[in-house]
Amino acid sequence: MQEDFHYYATYCAAYIAGYSHEESLDIAYSAQFVDVCSRTLLAKIKGPSDAATTQLQLELMDARTDRVGLQDITRIWSSFHFLPRDLNAVREKCTKGYRNKYRLICGPNGELVKKTVDLAKDKPVQSVGIAMHVLADTWAHANFAGTPSLVINNTNYLFYELFPEGDGYREQQIRFRHSTSVPDDLENSIYTNSLYQSSENSIMNLGHGRAGHLPDYSFVRYRYLPAWGEYEEIIKDNPRDYINAFTQMIHAMKCIRGVKGPFETETYDMEAIEPWLDRIKGIIGKRQILASDDWKAFGEELSGQSIEDFEIDRYFNEYTSVLKERKDDTFIGKFILGALAHKGMVINEIFKTGNKLAGVVKQNSVTGKTAEDEQQEDVAEQSSVTGKTAEDELKEEAAEQ
Amino acid sequence: MTIFQRFWVFIIGLIMVILALSFITNPDENSYLWVILFLFLGLAIKGVKDIIFYFTMARHMAGGKLILVQGVIVLDFAFLTGSLSDVPKIYVLLYLIAVHAFSGVVEILRAMEARRTVSGPWKLKFSHGIVNFILALSCFVFIRQTSTALIIYSIGLLYSGLMHMGSAFRKTTYVMIN
Repeated sequence: MQEDFHYYATYCAAYIAGYSHEESLDIAYSAQFVDVCSRTLLAKIKGPSDAATTQLQLELMDARTDRVGLQDITRIWSSFHFLPRDLNAVREKCTKGYRNKYRLICGPNGELVKKTVDLAKDKPVQSVGIAMHVLADTWAHANFAGTPSLVINNTNYLFYELFPEGDGYREQQIRFRHSTSVPDDLENSIYTNSLYQSSENSIMNLGHGRAGHLPDYSFVRYRYLPAWGEYEEIIKDNPRDYINAFTQMIHAMKCIRGVKGPFETETYDMEAIEPWLDRIKGIIGKRQILASDDWKAFGEELSGQSIEDFEIDRYFNEYTSVLKERKDDTFIGKFILGALAHKGMVINEIFKTGNKLAGVVKQNSVTGKTAEDEQQEDVAEQSSVTGKTAEDELKEEAAEQ
Repeated sequence: MTIFQRFWVFIIGLIMVILALSFITNPDENSYLWVILFLFLGLAIKGVKDIIFYFTMARHMAGGKLILVQGVIVLDFAFLTGSLSDVPKIYVLLYLIAVHAFSGVVEILRAMEARRTVSGPWKLKFSHGIVNFILALSCFVFIRQTSTALIIYSIGLLYSGLMHMGSAFRKTTYVMIN
């Protein structure tokens, strides 16, 4: 998914779920920030590199694919962009090495999605944004794994775009090219993908690189042969999946806000979008590379407020200008804590199944606690001592000044 | 890279440099056989690795049999290389020309692509390509000299060894795990 969905559509979903305009903007900003918070960015603002939620192309080109390097890549991409659907998936007559990779295949409605949403409950809006990014990507990035793997993520020439026609579909074979400087040709179904590399752990075989940007386009329907599917084709219906993602986000955020009971998978708040269903379907189904303008217009109509465009450095100054001990109370500081907590949870869950592809959770060398434990304790401490959240304290401090 | 990995990469590089220098300073008939042996081993290991990869992973993959075919061909190529110890050196030179020229072209094209498409780091890859190309050209120019094959191979080995040693000190970022 791209900025159109992670920022503008997430804003719309948050607003429909009952958040205020300001809260919805913060959730949308955090959701989109997941796609830009690289080690390079964190180094620039002097943030902890462990909190990286993505890797730049150049970082990936420089990344080693030895055991340690692969664990690092897998931690980032499996946690934030390709959340595994079933960490205990059964695959008979295969080696443990293959099974471990197979179990990292991303998909919606897995146990980890529930854990992700539950983790964001009673947390700052930054954690909600992170959870919404992860949830939405389980729909778009389904059937690919967040670890470099030829045997899981490869695709071949059997790739057809489906155009609704009558009761069925007209098919057109998709042609792939490898030039990232040329935009995808939607008219002629010519898309850019990564080069075929026969090396299992090549960076080219990470995620949906071999399928190009097709999973990121809400309008597209296609059928293809996944490397792992034992020669069974998959039909990917993005318009349907994006509607599911949108309505599941609304349901999840209502649960996080406490308006609904505990978050359950396979639940979509279709009722909430009933008044705008055709409008939303129209945006999702429109053939365009980026649907930002349409989502933005829809969001502004919903709230009656202007939605400012995503600016990567909106909160940098706040983070870099405060003392070290106050950084956790800033917008970026809360995002970093949320990212560390989420990453720790996912790595821990993967490790608990005996799968070491993502390594183990980094323990605090002094306290022996995981980042997730520490964040929970921080929140508990704030409410038990002062009865105020860090955000309240910041506001009070600003008012005093 | 961990300290152990850095150490290991450095040691491999050092061994390559020592071998290359010993071949250049003491070129004799045995050195030529060593070159053939290394080429044979390199290709054989690659071929066997591909075959193992097929049986452990790629057999579950759509179109995975290609990996098996690739492994068998590379292994076959390794045996062919091993048998070159009994044939005139000119064939070894032709073989080196083909290998270096092909590698050079591929490296240069990839460097150009990295520069053009993502403004990626291209200079190192480009220099790899140029060195490979020069080695191929040298094989062609000095094809009549009997020790050319050995010297060219040694220069390539020396370059690879130095690159290995250099990469041991390369800055890499990673999360140290407990």
